[in-house]
Amino acid sequence: MSQEVKKHHQTETDQQALPPSSGVLTKVLGFSVGLTLVFTLVANLLPQVEGEAPVDEVIDLGALTPESFAALGEKLFMGKGTCTLCHKPPPLGRAPDIQGENMVGLAEQRLADERYQGEAETAEAYILESMIEPSIYVVKDWGVAGSDDTVSPMPKVNAAPIELTEVEMNAVIAYLQHKDGNDITVELPTETPAVEEQAPGATGGAPLPAQSAEEAIKKYGCQACHSLLGSSSPVGPTLDDVARRLDRQQIQQSILDPAAVISEGFANMMPTDFAEKMTVNELNMIVDLLAASPADSTDSDSTEADSSETTTATETSNEEVAQ
Amino acid sequence: MLHKRLNSLQLLPKMRLQKLLNIMLVAVLFLGASSLVSNLFIGDVYADSVAQRIQSVGSILLEGEPQPEPVVVEAVETEPAPAPQGAPKLKREDYPRVGASSRSVVWIAAQMHLFFAAFVLAVPLFVLVIEWIGIKYADDRYDDMAHEFMKITMTAYSITALLGGFLAFSLFLLYPQVMEYMMRVFNLQVLVYAGLFFAESALLYIYYYSWDALRYGNKKWLHLTVGLGLNVAGTTLLVVANAWVTFMMAPSGVDATGAVVGNIWEIIKGPLWNPINLHRFIANIAFGGAIVGAYAGYKFLSAKTVEMRAHYDWMGYTANFIAILAFLPLPFAGYWLMAEIYAYSQQMGITAMGGILAWLFIVQAVLIGTILLAGNYYLWAGMSRTEGSKRYAWMIKYIAMVLVACFLVWVTPHTLILSADEIKQLGGSHHKLLGPLGIMPAKNIAVNLMLIFTFLSFQLYRRADKIATVPYANFLNALMVVIYVVAIANVIFAGVYYGYFTNTVYKVGSSVMQVATTLVVIASGIIIDTFLFKKADMIPAVWGRVSNRSQYALFALPIAFTWLMALMGYVRSSVRTHWHVYTVMKDNSPDNFVPSIGYAGNMMTIVTILFLGMVLFIFWIASLSETKQSKPLAQQELEA
Amino acid sequence: MKILNNPLVSMLLAAIVVLTFFYFMNIGIMSIQGLPLNANLTPAQ
Repeated sequence: MSQEVKKHHQTETDQQALPPSSGVLTKVLGFSVGLTLVFTLVANLLPQVEGEAPVDEVIDLGALTPESFAALGEKLFMGKGTCTLCHKPPPLGRAPDIQGENMVGLAEQRLADERYQGEAETAEAYILESMIEPSIYVVKDWGVAGSDDTVSPMPKVNAAPIELTEVEMNAVIAYLQHKDGNDITVELPTETPAVEEQAPGATGGAPLPAQSAEEAIKKYGCQACHSLLGSSSPVGPTLDDVARRLDRQQIQQSILDPAAVISEGFANMMPTDFAEKMTVNELNMIVDLLAASPADSTDSDSTEADSSETTTATETSNEEVAQ
Repeated sequence: MLHKRLNSLQLLPKMRLQKLLNIMLVAVLFLGASSLVSNLFIGDVYADSVAQRIQSVGSILLEGEPQPEPVVVEAVETEPAPAPQGAPKLKREDYPRVGASSRSVVWIAAQMHLFFAAFVLAVPLFVLVIEWIGIKYADDRYDDMAHEFMKITMTAYSITALLGGFLAFSLFLLYPQVMEYMMRVFNLQVLVYAGLFFAESALLYIYYYSWDALRYGNKKWLHLTVGLGLNVAGTTLLVVANAWVTFMMAPSGVDATGAVVGNIWEIIKGPLWNPINLHRFIANIAFGGAIVGAYAGYKFLSAKTVEMRAHYDWMGYTANFIAILAFLPLPFAGYWLMAEIYAYSQQMGITAMGGILAWLFIVQAVLIGTILLAGNYYLWAGMSRTEGSKRYAWMIKYIAMVLVACFLVWVTPHTLILSADEIKQLGGSHHKLLGPLGIMPAKNIAVNLMLIFTFLSFQLYRRADKIATVPYANFLNALMVVIYVVAIANVIFAGVYYGYFTNTVYKVGSSVMQVATTLVVIASGIIIDTFLFKKADMIPAVWGRVSNRSQYALFALPIAFTWLMALMGYVRSSVRTHWHVYTVMKDNSPDNFVPSIGYAGNMMTIVTILFLGMVLFIFWIASLSETKQSKPLAQQELEA
Repeated sequence: MKILNNPLVSMLLAAIVVLTFFYFMNIGIMSIQGLPLNANLTPAQ
């Protein structure tokens, strides 16, 4: 209808027609989809961390040494035990910083505290009791608000959702004792039932796990000291043919506990913290790559690199690693 | 004359009585039904032995006859009570495979259903209030707007139902054992849920279709009662369904293996049930308001007459008002939910906010920043409707500056993913200056200030068309200014001092202080303005006199709300990590890991765009129902 | 009261009222959470 005809029909200026609105739907849709894509972009620009699903791993208990038991404990502390969710250094921690403190010394102090109501008499027993019955003794100022330090916010470690087994809890205690140089008093497990160990559920802020052996090797800077994958360096033993000299077990030990066996002619310079930095996956990928490098058909422990094996070095028993 | 006066006098008490009776009737019906239903499921399901139930009532002895020997009757064997069965332990091969990620199918189905369910539950809530306002102020515009909102809801209701069916089928197909366990735990309650839909549907149809039939007088009160009943049914549906979700996060009424040991009420009323009820109830209203606001904005932009433009401008303002008003208490309801999660399991709480899901809360900051900025922008743009706003125009840029600064603080993360080189450059794992801005006290300051300043925008808008005439106006204004200044100082003081210089418990407790401060500002602002503008001089305000650009704020709001709802739903769901039912039933499916944030973001975009498409469909249907094709001239001439 | 029209007086009075209110509100809110404060608003525990 033309403007003039319309005017005849209206009595108020309220009915005044407006120019037709072109493409409202397109503009509205475009704006809406555009804004949605902005949010999508924000989500994709942030650091992408995928939570690792729990994975069963079988560990040969017979092959464990006290050090590797403590290393297992540390892995559990960071991973399946989810301890680091709360036990962090101040000011972030929601629980005492047990990694940073000397737990054996602290345990003895707490056992002497008049508030202590539990039944432990040694540091080992105290730590175990804290895991199984956290509310028996709550460290001052860490209790649930309003409970006057009688109720602990800590979950029972041997119950769901953490469900550490007795062996695993002993491993964690071994770690807590070992890290400050105290003696490990827990008994090493002797049977070989399958120990279910679950890969770390990622805690916040962990760097992205490497997706391949090469990526892992670059990530941990192995080539800075070792000749490997085309690069060369005189600082440490060459790794291009390491499978000739070491088996899987020994390669793994060299990474996790480099000070245990030092190759003759080289210095004790290798970083000792790979055990806490590497994920199980990354470690396995690296060990697979190194163990697969060209090897002689003769047996693998006959070269000069092994001549200084200490008694704590493990046998060449095979370690099953099932993923 | 007396006759007329008597008639009107008789009418008033009758109306009030009628209204009262109607409301009481519905309340009693609901209370009765709910207590009956709950009583059915409380108490022992397993019968006492038959012998105990059938008691002898006495015996008759004949004189002279010896006393009969008592006959010992062996108790009839009843079926032994079945052994309590825990949750199934599933292995990976137990999960059905359909070629697509089962989790993503259920994710999309569930989120779509929740979007629509939130909408159809929310709209009748504020429609009822608007309808009541129309009666109170005797203004037809409110009634017509309420009616128009309900029209949109009708199509949405069907879509909600079919999405619910899709969700149910996908759950039973892809997670049959989980569903078997959930059915075992919740038992007849699921049928109660299904049965409630009869009430909801009946009341919805009656409420909408009787609108013109029950338009005035006593019949209008009857209509309101139907609306009240509709909302009661809808809210009950909401809380019943919430129980399933909160049970999966924090199971109650079952033992450590998952066997049912409590009654249905104990199962429903877990520690997270009421926080989720409150949070979803309020959030639904905000969400519903935002969507009808988009409807109004769209109709505004495509309006063909000035009158239509004015009508939809007013509708958009009302919808935005509802959305922002409901949005303001949401952070507090969300805080209560998080506090209960922390109280139930500190581990779960930290996973959400300090662990792998922590980055999501940075995305949440972006979304809420968008919502607040859009809401504020709409208010500022709306000030152009009246000349009286010119007095306050100077404040707008300062409010904008504060909002942007607070938003930037809120968005600053604490933990950065750094390589070894970057750690060296930074001198540590956290930035010295920005690191402290990443933790909760700074965020709390930012949020509370954003809410205070949003309320300020709102208060300025409401004041823009009024001039105070009360004698103590100066004092009241001074009071308002001082309240703002002291409140802002208090929020900053509480956050900085308790947040950074005292221990954790005081830090956490200070956030309550900040929340209370914000609430004091809002409450006192409303109260002071009520007194200040009694009998105020009004400056004319023209509906429709607002820029086209301002309507885009009405589109930004529902998009942000929708994406935010998807985001928060994702957090709530994945905080269970690798458990179907936390601590009770482990998840061993191929999807039992927390996906990366980019993947999650893409899923949220998919559901948002699907939702956008379906909502446009609903709007189109609503306007289609009003479209009449005019008779072709040839046929008109034939009939003439 | 006419004196209240004096902007200085009304600001001063408002300031006294509001500061007192917030001071006691702070103490009250912290104490119902089991977190007592001293008179200078420092933690008492």
